[in-house]
Amino acid sequence: MLADFWTWILDLGNSKTVALLIFFTTFVGIVIYVYSSRKRSERLESYRYMPLMDEDDADRRVKAAEAAQAKGEK
Amino acid sequence: MFKHESIETNSGLLIVLTLVAISIGGLVEIVPLHYINETVEDVKDPVTGVELVRPYTPLEQRGRDIYIREGCYTCHSQMIRPFRDEDLRYGHYSLAAESKFDHPFQWGSKRTGPDLARVGGKYSNEWQVAHLVAPRSVVPESIMPNYPWLLENNLQYADIKDRMIALKRVGVPYSLTKVEYESNVKRFGEDVAKKLDINTAENNLMAQAQKGNYDGNPNKLTEMDALVAYLQVLGTMVDFKKFDEDHFIQFR
Amino acid sequence: MAHSAALSSEQYNYEIVKKFAIASIFWGILGMSAGVYIASELAWPFLNFDIAQITFGRLRPLHTSGVIFGFGGNALFATSYYVVQRTCQARLAGGTFWPNFTFWGWNLSVLIAGVLYLFGYTQGREYAEPVWFIDIAITVVWVVYFLIFTITLIKRNQPHIYVANWFYMSFILATALLHIFNNLAVPVSFTSLESYSLFSGAQDAMTQWWYGHNAVGFFLTAAFLGMMYYFVPKQAGRPVYSYRLSIIHFWALSFMYMWVGTHHLHWTAIPDWTSTLAATFSILLLMPSWGGMINGIMTLSGAWDKLRTDPIMMFMITALSFYGMSTFEGPMMSLKSVNALSHYTDWTVGHVHSGALGWVAMISIASFYHMIPRLWNTTLYSTQLVYTHFFLATIGTILYITALWVSGIGQGLMLRAFDEYGNLAYTFVETVAFMHGPLVARAVGGLFFLSGMFVMAYNIYMTITRAKQEEPVSATAAAQA
Repeated sequence: MLADFWTWILDLGNSKTVALLIFFTTFVGIVIYVYSSRKRSERLESYRYMPLMDEDDADRRVKAAEAAQAKGEK
Repeated sequence: MFKHESIETNSGLLIVLTLVAISIGGLVEIVPLHYINETVEDVKDPVTGVELVRPYTPLEQRGRDIYIREGCYTCHSQMIRPFRDEDLRYGHYSLAAESKFDHPFQWGSKRTGPDLARVGGKYSNEWQVAHLVAPRSVVPESIMPNYPWLLENNLQYADIKDRMIALKRVGVPYSLTKVEYESNVKRFGEDVAKKLDINTAENNLMAQAQKGNYDGNPNKLTEMDALVAYLQVLGTMVDFKKFDEDHFIQFR
Repeated sequence: MAHSAALSSEQYNYEIVKKFAIASIFWGILGMSAGVYIASELAWPFLNFDIAQITFGRLRPLHTSGVIFGFGGNALFATSYYVVQRTCQARLAGGTFWPNFTFWGWNLSVLIAGVLYLFGYTQGREYAEPVWFIDIAITVVWVVYFLIFTITLIKRNQPHIYVANWFYMSFILATALLHIFNNLAVPVSFTSLESYSLFSGAQDAMTQWWYGHNAVGFFLTAAFLGMMYYFVPKQAGRPVYSYRLSIIHFWALSFMYMWVGTHHLHWTAIPDWTSTLAATFSILLLMPSWGGMINGIMTLSGAWDKLRTDPIMMFMITALSFYGMSTFEGPMMSLKSVNALSHYTDWTVGHVHSGALGWVAMISIASFYHMIPRLWNTTLYSTQLVYTHFFLATIGTILYITALWVSGIGQGLMLRAFDEYGNLAYTFVETVAFMHGPLVARAVGGLFFLSGMFVMAYNIYMTITRAKQEEPVSATAAAQA
């Protein structure tokens, strides 16, 4: 039984099916990993704020100008 | 327990895993082509057993260099697909073997002008010259640029041996030694083998230009001679009349 | 982290970002001008003027290299150096010398390669035309780039590597891989500019389109997605819609793109299975592509009103929409039946430009409008001119791709038409005559887009000049305090 399984897997003619199974499983694995646990989700989503953490004077200055511009046009 | 954070916090791991992810596709698609024999079919004369697709002669190769220099591939393909309209318009679909000595390949990706894979022999030398110098003089609606300088520029061939040696390095069977020459005689026949001999390259080049008189001016060896010689050989090496109609289908 | 007190302009290496940004705009104008000119040559062939150096065949590689490596490449260097510093909160590695080395190395390589095309020196491989010694120079520059980027990542003051940097990293790695393998060649001699490719025929075609498509996939897509993942959240002032989606987006895209290059070779003399495999993966690729697009567009959810008041945001959303459209069109064109019609026609050229103008150029332009005022610690000279640029760019892109749909599909249908006796209904040159109208419209579309670039160059020039006038004032103010 196990021997049959190995002969099937090692047969190059089945390589496409094997590859498909491996890659698809990996993909589904990643999706499950990423979305399954609520705690993990919350943790992962907490990294979203990274680019917003380096607000500096130049940022504030440009933003204020853009906001003033937007108000002026309304 | 594995965490995605391990990748996000470790640049080495990120690099390695990304490399793995991006390498698989290329490996699966390209590597087998170098090892599977059927990728490029053998095309031999059914009667004599001589290989029909041969390397370019020195003059034709110089023509090919000019074809690349002028960027002809940006508007012309050299790859006929197996469709009825292309068969009627251009001829038998292209075989992989027909470009096996093409370094680099010039299949192209765009037909602003027609396919050239089998343009060889379709038009006379005079037509080709007139068309290259002023395309709209023979095809009024054409949008091809004029190439008058081809007729004025002398063909440079001082480095023809270097070129053939470089091509030999990448696998084109030009011959330097007696043994290599003999092997070419077996593969392509004596007439062809003589033209593939690097030692006599310059003489071969001049002899072909003299005999072919491609540019209509026997006193001058121009770039036009080389380019027209190249165009006239395109797609003519395999004579499809020698094969059954469906002979090549097995290789697709 | 007590970083906010220090001035970003001192904490980070902004000088190099500024250089690359300006070079990018310069190349954008040069490359797109070449594009408009060759488009006009197709519509009015007398424009070739019998001058060898400016014929279509020699000028076209200058256009493609100019916009891809000049405009796109410099934009990627600029934004990746900016993003990696700000998301890692660390100064760029390599001091001042090595980043400058990448700047001059890259730009001189593209410039010399471009001039050589005009004199007929090319490898004759689409998008890999630079001659062999330029290829070696580019490889060296690229290794330095990789090291600068990686060492900056290692020195980071943030625990995590932000998703934008993953995309930049995959772009750097993939480009290295593609560039090296596709340019394997033997020079005619060491004093010759010419070389012959290592592979030939079918194998060469596979290698070249593996390169060609992934130049699109990693150079023109993955890296610009890195741009999107940083600049869209920054401009919207909101975090990216879903971090989890970005994880899936990244791995799926990196994995799948490399499989699809062969769809450029449907119906040619390569084994059928490679073609089928490529078509299958092309369809699958729609999912991560749209995942990324949704992630970008949804970042704006709850702040849609910004679209009415912020022209930079309009550029970003339009870019993402064009990205969505061309990543839908692409898989469709990779179906063998559609490809039979579309291949070899202007439809392909139109498709490339809906990605190149609509997505790549627009997201870069938006990033520049966001980044440049911050680099010079100033504000944009004119928001009104950004609106003007936006409308010129959008009208230009739409005109361009519509014209080439007409030209490409029209030519494809004419070439395969038969009359009642089963003969070909049209000669080839009749299709050429048919295409004249669409080709004129395309050139006009390109001109619209190019004029937008000039508006941008003026706006940026004025912004920088004004910033320089302000500078001494703030410097004295700082000295007094």
